[in-house]
Amino acid sequence: MSRVGKIARRTFLIGSAAIAGGVAFGVYMAKKPIPNPLLDDLKDGEAAITPFVKIDANGITLITPRADKGQGAYSIQAYLIAEELDIDPATATITPGMPGQAYYNATVLGEGVPIPAYKEGFVADTLRDFMSVPAKLLSIQMTGGSSTVPDGFDRMRLAGATARETLKEAAARRVGVARGDLRTENGAVILPDGTSIAYTDLAAEAAEIDPVTDVTLRPASAWRYLGKPDLPRLDMLRKCTGTEVYGIDMEFQDMLHATVRANPAVGTAGARVDASAAEGMRGVEKILPVSNGVGVIANNTWRAFQAAEALEIAWSAPDYPGTSDGIFAALEQALGDPDSYDHRQRDEGDVDAALEAGEVIDARYRIPYLAHAPMEPMNAVVRVLDGQVEIWTGTQIPLFIRDRAATIAGVDPEAVKVYVLPMGGSFGHRLEMTHVEQAVELALTVPGRHLKLTWSREEDMSHDYPRPASVAAGRGQVADGKVVAFDLSVSQSAMAPEWFGRLSGMSLPGPDATITTGSWDQPFAIPDYRVTGYRAPSMVPVSSWRSVGASGNGFYHDCFLDELIHAAGADPLAERIRLCLHEPARKVLEAVGEMSGWDGPSIGEGRGRGVGFCMSFGVPCAQVIEVTQTEAGIRIDQVYVAVDVGEVLDPTNLEAQVFGGVIFGLGHAMNCALTYEDHAPLETNCHAYEGMRLYQAPQIEVRALSNGSRIRGVGEPAVPPAAPALANAIFAATGQRIRELPLNKHIDFV
Amino acid sequence: MKLTVNGTEHEVDVEPEMPLLWVLRDELDIKGPKYGCGIAQCGACTVHVDGMAVRSCQLPVGDLEGEVTTIEGLGTPESLHAVQAAWVAHQVAQCGYCQSGQIMQAAALLDLNPAPSDEEIDAVMSGNLCRCGTYPRIRAAIHDAAQKLSEA
Amino acid sequence: MQKSVVILAAVSIAGAALAEGALTLPEEGSISRADGQAAFERIYEVVIHPRCANCHVGEDNIPMWSGPSYGEARPHGMHINAGESRIGAEFLPCQTCHVTSDDFDTAPHAAPRFGIAWQLAPVEFEWFGKSRAEICAQLKDPERNGGRDWRELVEHLEHDASLNGPVAWGWSPGGDREPAPRTLEEHVEDMALWGAAGQPCPAE
Repeated sequence: MSRVGKIARRTFLIGSAAIAGGVAFGVYMAKKPIPNPLLDDLKDGEAAITPFVKIDANGITLITPRADKGQGAYSIQAYLIAEELDIDPATATITPGMPGQAYYNATVLGEGVPIPAYKEGFVADTLRDFMSVPAKLLSIQMTGGSSTVPDGFDRMRLAGATARETLKEAAARRVGVARGDLRTENGAVILPDGTSIAYTDLAAEAAEIDPVTDVTLRPASAWRYLGKPDLPRLDMLRKCTGTEVYGIDMEFQDMLHATVRANPAVGTAGARVDASAAEGMRGVEKILPVSNGVGVIANNTWRAFQAAEALEIAWSAPDYPGTSDGIFAALEQALGDPDSYDHRQRDEGDVDAALEAGEVIDARYRIPYLAHAPMEPMNAVVRVLDGQVEIWTGTQIPLFIRDRAATIAGVDPEAVKVYVLPMGGSFGHRLEMTHVEQAVELALTVPGRHLKLTWSREEDMSHDYPRPASVAAGRGQVADGKVVAFDLSVSQSAMAPEWFGRLSGMSLPGPDATITTGSWDQPFAIPDYRVTGYRAPSMVPVSSWRSVGASGNGFYHDCFLDELIHAAGADPLAERIRLCLHEPARKVLEAVGEMSGWDGPSIGEGRGRGVGFCMSFGVPCAQVIEVTQTEAGIRIDQVYVAVDVGEVLDPTNLEAQVFGGVIFGLGHAMNCALTYEDHAPLETNCHAYEGMRLYQAPQIEVRALSNGSRIRGVGEPAVPPAAPALANAIFAATGQRIRELPLNKHIDFV
Repeated sequence: MKLTVNGTEHEVDVEPEMPLLWVLRDELDIKGPKYGCGIAQCGACTVHVDGMAVRSCQLPVGDLEGEVTTIEGLGTPESLHAVQAAWVAHQVAQCGYCQSGQIMQAAALLDLNPAPSDEEIDAVMSGNLCRCGTYPRIRAAIHDAAQKLSEA
Repeated sequence: MQKSVVILAAVSIAGAALAEGALTLPEEGSISRADGQAAFERIYEVVIHPRCANCHVGEDNIPMWSGPSYGEARPHGMHINAGESRIGAEFLPCQTCHVTSDDFDTAPHAAPRFGIAWQLAPVEFEWFGKSRAEICAQLKDPERNGGRDWRELVEHLEHDASLNGPVAWGWSPGGDREPAPRTLEEHVEDMALWGAAGQPCPAE
C-alpha cells in the first residue's frame, strides 16, 4: 500500500453518513495530483497523455476503468472519451487497464450523505462532492451504485479533450502554426491546408510536451455519439458470436483447474473432511485445505467438480440462527427495540402525537435473502511466480483484490497485477472476493503454474453474500381523503459495515444507511413523516444486491403508501403526485399516468393496475403495471416505466437497462428467496432460483425524461419500483394485499 | 475417442461420462458454450448436434452421435448467421454470458419453425435463462431473424 | 466399443438385468381374482408414482415435476409443453435436455435420461391424477394400451427395460430421485399375475 493510502486509512473514517477527522490534511492531500499509472509501463514511442488515453504508432488505447458486468459501462466510457478525442471508438483498443488510484470513484460514496438526492443547493452538493476526497484517498476504484456515468461524465470527456488538444499542440509545434488554427477529425489533426496527421504519428512528440489542460468541453449540441439513438455497444459483436473472453474463458498453456467446497455458513472455520473417495480420481492432482474449506486441483474443471463432490465434509456451525424462521425471529425482535436503534434520517412533524390522536392503520412486511446468481459463476486465474502475483478475474473492486492478494502472498501490493475481464453479470456479487482469496491460496501451492479456480453453481449460490433479509412495520393515518401521517421502521443486519469490514479490514463507524435507503429519502411531503432504521445482529453475511437498500425499502415505502392512499379513498397516482415535492419526480409520475391512460386502478373484471415509485441513486422512477387474474394465476400484461437520469447519453442502452431492471425486480419479487436450513440455503441452483424466464416477461414501455439537474446512472433505479407496482396491481385486481416477498408464497403466477 | 466440432475432427482422451461441455471447453478450448448451472436449467451451454439444440452439460461425450456445432461454427464476426445479425441489430446482449446459448436455441427454433408466434417463442426459449433481462429484445430479434430468413 | 462398455455399466447400476421373456408366465386363470386384485394394487402404486405418472399426462401435453424439492406436483418448469407430438417437436424437443444415454446417473435436479428417446407416453395412457378404476380400465383396454393383451403388456415392460427405457429407469432414476416402489422384477411379475387373474379392476 502506498504511504498516502496508509496515512489516509488512519486519518479518515468514512461512514455512510459522515466524515470524521483529518479534513484539512485530507483536502491538501486530495488536491495533490495523482500519478498517471500508465506512465510506469510506457514503451518507447508510446504516449499516455492522461490516465485514460494511450497512443503509440500502432494505435489508440482507451482505458475504461469501470467494470463492465453487462450494463454497458465499457461502451459508454469509450464513447465519453471518443466524443472529445474525435475518434471512432470502434477503431480503438479498449481495456480496463491496471487498477490505480487515478481511477477512484468520486461519486459512489456521494449517495451515502445524509441529505436526500432530491435536495439540491450549495450545502448538499458540496457535501456530495466532498465524498470524493475519501474516495480518492482510499483509492476506491469501485464499480457500483449506478455511478459510472455520473462519475465519468466530465472526467472522461476532459481526458479526451486534453489528449486532443495535446496532440494538436504537438502538430502545431511540428509544422509551426498556432494550435488554434488546427482541428481534429477521425483520429487525425487537420492542418489549415487540409492535410492530416494521424494521432498515432504524433504520439512520440505528444509524449514530450506537458498536457494541455485548459480545455473546454463541447456542448451537447455538438455531440456526434452521445445522446444519439442506435449507438452500438462496442462489445455487442463479440457477445453475439461467442468470442467475448470472460474470466471463466481464460486459457493458458499448462493451466491447472481447481474448485473448492467451503463452509456454507460463510466465514465459519472448521470442518472434518474425508477425502478418501476423491483421492485418486482421474486427473486430480491435489486436495488441500483453503480458508474455511477444501480445494481440489485437477487437470480439467469437470474432474475437479467431480472430486469435490466426492469429499465427505462435516461443517462447523456458527452461532447465529441456522434457519430462516430463526433469522426472521431475530429481525422481528430488533424491530422497534430501543437497544437496536440505528438511525432516523427523516423525522418531520410529530408522528407520535399524530398517531396517538386518531385511528392508526398498520401493516407489517418482510423480504427474504436473495442471491445475485449472475450467469457466470465466480472464477479467477492466478499465477504466482518469483514474488509476483498475477490475477485475471471479473471484479468491481480490483484494488481491494490487489491488496488482499498481496497480504495472502506476503508481497507488496505493487507486486500484484489484476487484469479485469468482462463479466457474465454481477448484480453486486463481484463486490466480494472470496473466490480470489481461495485462488491465490491454491496458486501459492503450485508456483509458476496458472491456476483457474471455478465455483460450481452450487458453491456460488451457497456463498453468494445475499441481499439482506429484512422486516418492516408501517403505521399511518389518513384524513379528508389524504395521507397525513407515515411512520416506517425497518430492521436489517448492518450490510454496509459488514461488507466494508470484510474487504478492508477497517470498521465503518456510524449508522448503516442501507437499512433505510429507498424509504427515508423519498421526495414526498407528508405532515407527520418518520423513517427509522433498526440494526439486527449480523447473521448470514450479506452484501449489495442490484439497487442495494432500495431493493427492499422501495417495496416497503411504496406498498405502505399505497395502503394509506387506499384507506384515504384517494386515487393511487393522483395522491402520489399531490404528495410529491420534487419536480422531476412528479413528472415521471405524470408520465406513467399518460403512458398508461391512467383513470384509476380498476381496468375491468379480474384485472387491475398498480403504481410503484422509488427514487434511488438520485433517479426518480415510476412504473404502472397491469395484471390479469387467470385460471392459471396472475399474468403481468404490461409495464409502463418513466425514469429521469438528467441527461440521456445512450437511449438504446438506457432502454435495455430499464427492461433489465424491471425484469430483475419483478422476477425476484414473484419467484425468489434463499431459504436457510442448517445455515445453508436450500436453493442451490437454477431449478429453485430462476428469477424470471422469458414466458413471464411482460411488455415493457419506457420513457426517459431529462428534468433532473445532475446526470445519473440507470443500472439500478428501475429495480425498486417493480415489486411494489406489482403488489399494488395484484391488490387492485384481487383485493389481496401481499406484504411478504416472494409473492408466489401467497398467489400463483401464470 | 473422436468427435467432430464445427467441421473439424478431434481426438480426445477422456472418460466417456465427461459431459460434452467440458470436453469442448477444457479439452478443445472451444469457449463459446458456457457453464452456468450444469443441470440443464439455464441453457448457456446449448450447442447443436446434427442441427438439434442440445444442452452440452447433459450429454456424456460417450453418448455423442453426430456432428457438433457451437456458436463459433454458426457464424463469425465477419459472416454472421441471420440470428446473430438480428441480435446485433436489436442490441440484445447485456452481460452476454447466456447469449451463445440463446442464439443457438433460437437458430434451432427457426430451423424447425420458420415463423414462430410469440407463444411459440415463449415455449421454446424459456429453457434459456437470462439474468440481465434481455427477453423483450430476444423476442423482437427472433421475429426479425425469421423475417430475414424467409426473404432469403 | 465405447458404447457397449457404457451399457454394461448402466445395467449394473440399474440392476435391470432383465432379459426379454425371462419370466415364465402363469397360465391364464391360474391366479385367483383376489391375488389379481392385490397385484393391481401394487401396479397402481407404481404407475401413480411420480417417476411414472409425471410423463403419463393428459392432452395438455405438459409433464409434471414433483419430489422433495418441489413440494406439491406442479407443471414442469421452463414453460415446457411437449406438444401433440409428445416429443416436443412443436416447441422444445424433450431431447434438448433429456439426452439419450444408458447412464442414468445424473446430478440432482439435472435432466433425467434413459436409453431411448425421452418423450411423454401416448395421451391415451394418461395416469396423472387418475383414479384406480380409470387407470385399470385404461391398462386393459387395447384401444388405449397400444393394442396389447396382458401377455403383450408383460412383453412390453420387458422389452422397454431391455432397452434401458423408462421402465428400467423408473427403479434407478439417478440424481437422488425417489425410485418407483419395490422392484422392476416385482412389477413385471405383478403385471403377469394381474393378467393371469383376468385383469380384475376395483369398483371405484
